[in-house]
Amino acid sequence: MSEFILEVKNLNVELAGEQVLEDLSFDLREKEILVILGPNGAGKSVLLRTLLGLHLFKGEVSWEENTHIGYVPEEFTVSKNLPLSVKEFFNFKEAESSEISQSLKWVGMKISPRFLEKRLGTLSSGQLRRTLIAWALVDEPDVILLDEPMVGIDIHGRKTIYDSLVEFWQKKNQTIILVSHEIGEVCKKADKILALNKRKLFYGKPEEVITPQNLAKIYGSSISL
Amino acid sequence: MDLQFLYSLIVSVFIGGVAGYLGSLMITKRMALVGDALGHVALPGVALALIYGFNVSLGALIFLALGILLIWFFEVRTKLPMEALTGIVFTASVAIAFLFLPETEVSTALIGDISQIGSWDTLSSVILSVIIFLVLRKIFSKMILANLSENLARVEGVKVGTYNFIYLLCIAIIVALGIKVTGSLLMGALVITPAAAARNLSRNLFQYSYGALIIGIISCVSGVLIFKIFGFSAGPFVILTATLIFLISLIFKKR
Repeated sequence: MSEFILEVKNLNVELAGEQVLEDLSFDLREKEILVILGPNGAGKSVLLRTLLGLHLFKGEVSWEENTHIGYVPEEFTVSKNLPLSVKEFFNFKEAESSEISQSLKWVGMKISPRFLEKRLGTLSSGQLRRTLIAWALVDEPDVILLDEPMVGIDIHGRKTIYDSLVEFWQKKNQTIILVSHEIGEVCKKADKILALNKRKLFYGKPEEVITPQNLAKIYGSSISL
Repeated sequence: MDLQFLYSLIVSVFIGGVAGYLGSLMITKRMALVGDALGHVALPGVALALIYGFNVSLGALIFLALGILLIWFFEVRTKLPMEALTGIVFTASVAIAFLFLPETEVSTALIGDISQIGSWDTLSSVILSVIIFLVLRKIFSKMILANLSENLARVEGVKVGTYNFIYLLCIAIIVALGIKVTGSLLMGALVITPAAAARNLSRNLFQYSYGALIIGIISCVSGVLIFKIFGFSAGPFVILTATLIFLISLIFKKR
């Protein structure tokens, strides 16, 4: 068995005097895909940001040394007026043109030189989401944390993107943590599922934990995949 | 060509260029009026420098440092919005300056006087401008990224707090330098107007930031030329040239 790339023990997070996460423990090995499920306001995004070192916490969050992390935030808007081209956005990461087109291809974008010259703020919300995911992929981090990555992308697009992303992740030996408020395509590809609503609801392999009883814990009524 | 004219030309080219470049970042961060306010905060320092005959930029810089510290202190104590506190400090500065600013120096303090620039002044302005430009170029893309998403920037290892501090320091130094060219009343325009014009004309960040730099230079050169040829004060004509370029840019605005 490979070593843990991430270990979380007894994690507690308090924001503005309110307990947002309570006593969470879980771990992750290399190449694993962890999907974090939970209703809106369950603290999923806070958990991601805490793992990224953006919030204060009590407990233990330990990443394997020198882990290079990529992040796709849930909220990302660009003013239409900002003269920033897609290519320049990728240049923030000093990416080569070939790397840019490659990673855009992984998220299902047909790219032309004209697309790279477009202003980032003029992309449609779906295009912007895909571009943001490609941006996270472009320097091939060891771990990628994605917060509701498919918001704004239609249901047909999602499956294709997930298929190609999972292929990409496996090829590059990447570890993935993905937050979603709905149970969907990606749960089938997950190695582990963590469901939470401030505290842990259930945690384990999808085939073991995705049961109508467990799903009712998240959504209040029984659903099946 | 006389030496004095050459000095004013060199100083205004360097300061105007960097001020324009800095302005492109300030507009993006919605801090365009900060340059204007700081120009006023520096006024007592300018007044003292004119009375006692020392470097105007040095006087300005001392009072800018005091002003920024004061705004910061008020913010910690009152939690009032920063812009309200800035408003208090900059108007108080203007009031204080007019307590002792000699009548004969009013126009120099308010709209600048490049005819008084010496060799040492020129050298220090050029060196400081180049340093500020290099620093800004280094932090530019990271500041833009932090402006898009601070969390994303932090994850990419950008030390947002440190960068903001460096950026504010750059603004203070450029304002102190620019006051020589345009005076404290008009300094704000030197950072805003060239960048606003460039924004209208550009498709990407490169065109935007370097466009602002070039428009800043053009404005300053034409102001100095008008001073040389017609004898009008350079400061107002620097700003009016920039404004004219801005108006022309409206016609060509990229959608």
